Amino acid sequence: MTCQELQEMFELYALGALEPAEKAEIEAHLARDCDNCRQALSAALALNAGVFTLATSVKPPRRLKRRLLTSVGVHYPGWGWVWALGALCLLVVAAWLGVEERTRTYELADARRALLESDGERDRLTQALQFLSDPQTRPASFGRGQTAPPRGYVFLHPQMGVLLIASNLPAAGSGKTYEMWVIPKGGTPQPAGLFQSDGTRGLHILSGPVDVAAIGTIAVTIEPAAGSATPTMPIIIAAPIGS
Amino acid sequence: MLLLKILPAGLAFAILQVALRLADDADLARRLKAREPKAMNDLYDRYGRLAYSLICRIVRNASTAEDLVQETFLRVWNRVQSFDAERGALGAWVLTVARNRAIDHLRSVDGRMEAGAIELDHLERPGLFAKLDSAALAMDRVRRLKSAFEKLTPTQRQVIELAYYEGMSQTEMAERLKQPLGTVKTWTRAALKVLRDELAEAAIA
Repeated sequence: MTCQELQEMFELYALGALEPAEKAEIEAHLARDCDNCRQALSAALALNAGVFTLATSVKPPRRLKRRLLTSVGVHYPGWGWVWALGALCLLVVAAWLGVEERTRTYELADARRALLESDGERDRLTQALQFLSDPQTRPASFGRGQTAPPRGYVFLHPQMGVLLIASNLPAAGSGKTYEMWVIPKGGTPQPAGLFQSDGTRGLHILSGPVDVAAIGTIAVTIEPAAGSATPTMPIIIAAPIGS
Repeated sequence: MLLLKILPAGLAFAILQVALRLADDADLARRLKAREPKAMNDLYDRYGRLAYSLICRIVRNASTAEDLVQETFLRVWNRVQSFDAERGALGAWVLTVARNRAIDHLRSVDGRMEAGAIELDHLERPGLFAKLDSAALAMDRVRRLKSAFEKLTPTQRQVIELAYYEGMSQTEMAERLKQPLGTVKTWTRAALKVLRDELAEAAIA
């Protein structure tokens, strides 16, 4: 074959798509330093490379670059720092959310406690109001004429029980509580419930029917926080119930 | 500068792009030869996607394509010392290596290697790409090739795809297409002429 005839075969030669006889013929021409053939081969390689770019473009996975660079011993910074920064941010956000959540939990518990206390307080005041407004309620006072506190009133009702309202009543102290006693005429003191002072006032209700006529005195002592079965001296409040 | 004033803006821009790319490729090849750590990174950034797309087209398997892309770039890395950085067409070489790795893989899977298929190694020697038209992958040429490819008849397109993307010889194509060898040769010759003529027109324009 002449050089001219071979011109049309260089693309296939460069692709390795020629039969062995054709391939041998081209290589024989090339071996003779034939300029025409060399130029034709270069043009064919360029054309082939152009055709190779016509394949539909597909984005390679990011890991491929990392893998390749690692294989030739090149450090690949990639996006590792972004992930690290992201992870750090997430950690900070998670910690902040955790603190927020805990704070919120505490606040919620406090609010719930306050609500319960406020509910209890409201119930007690409602009950006290019922005491005071009922015609069967019988009042008694204590502390009058004394220079030292406390002073106040005791209200007795045959069905509702005993209401004690004290002013100038200091706090019972750490680990201590006020305990009310119902002392029957000629009898031993009966425990009638524990209560605290807010520092100046105290309010306590013994709910339930009582034999008003049999009660001689309503007393208050300071006791350990859990209360006592018998009063501890001295008596802080003593309200005699007249017949 | 006078040339830039005379030429249409689009063409001037294309020429400028080619010039910049060539300068970049020559510099990149020099850095690869000097074993600069960032050079491989830049080579991959420039030709990684083209190589991966081509190999995917040939092997049609993403995982295999990843292996072959790695093999391609390692081969370029290991042989770049023989590459002529000043005159060589780096992109054309990388893509030829990529295509040949993929075809070798296909042939080994099909058992065609054992049947005496042509060894591709010698067709990707760096020296072959020394006097290549460095603008082989210039955008304008690629655009023209694409438009020429669309002008091919279905049979012409089929033989081009079998040769470029399946690595078949004309005898193998004739068997696959159940056509006489002479017919396949005519189709192939005609198809390549269309592509060649389109590029020749581009060169004249």
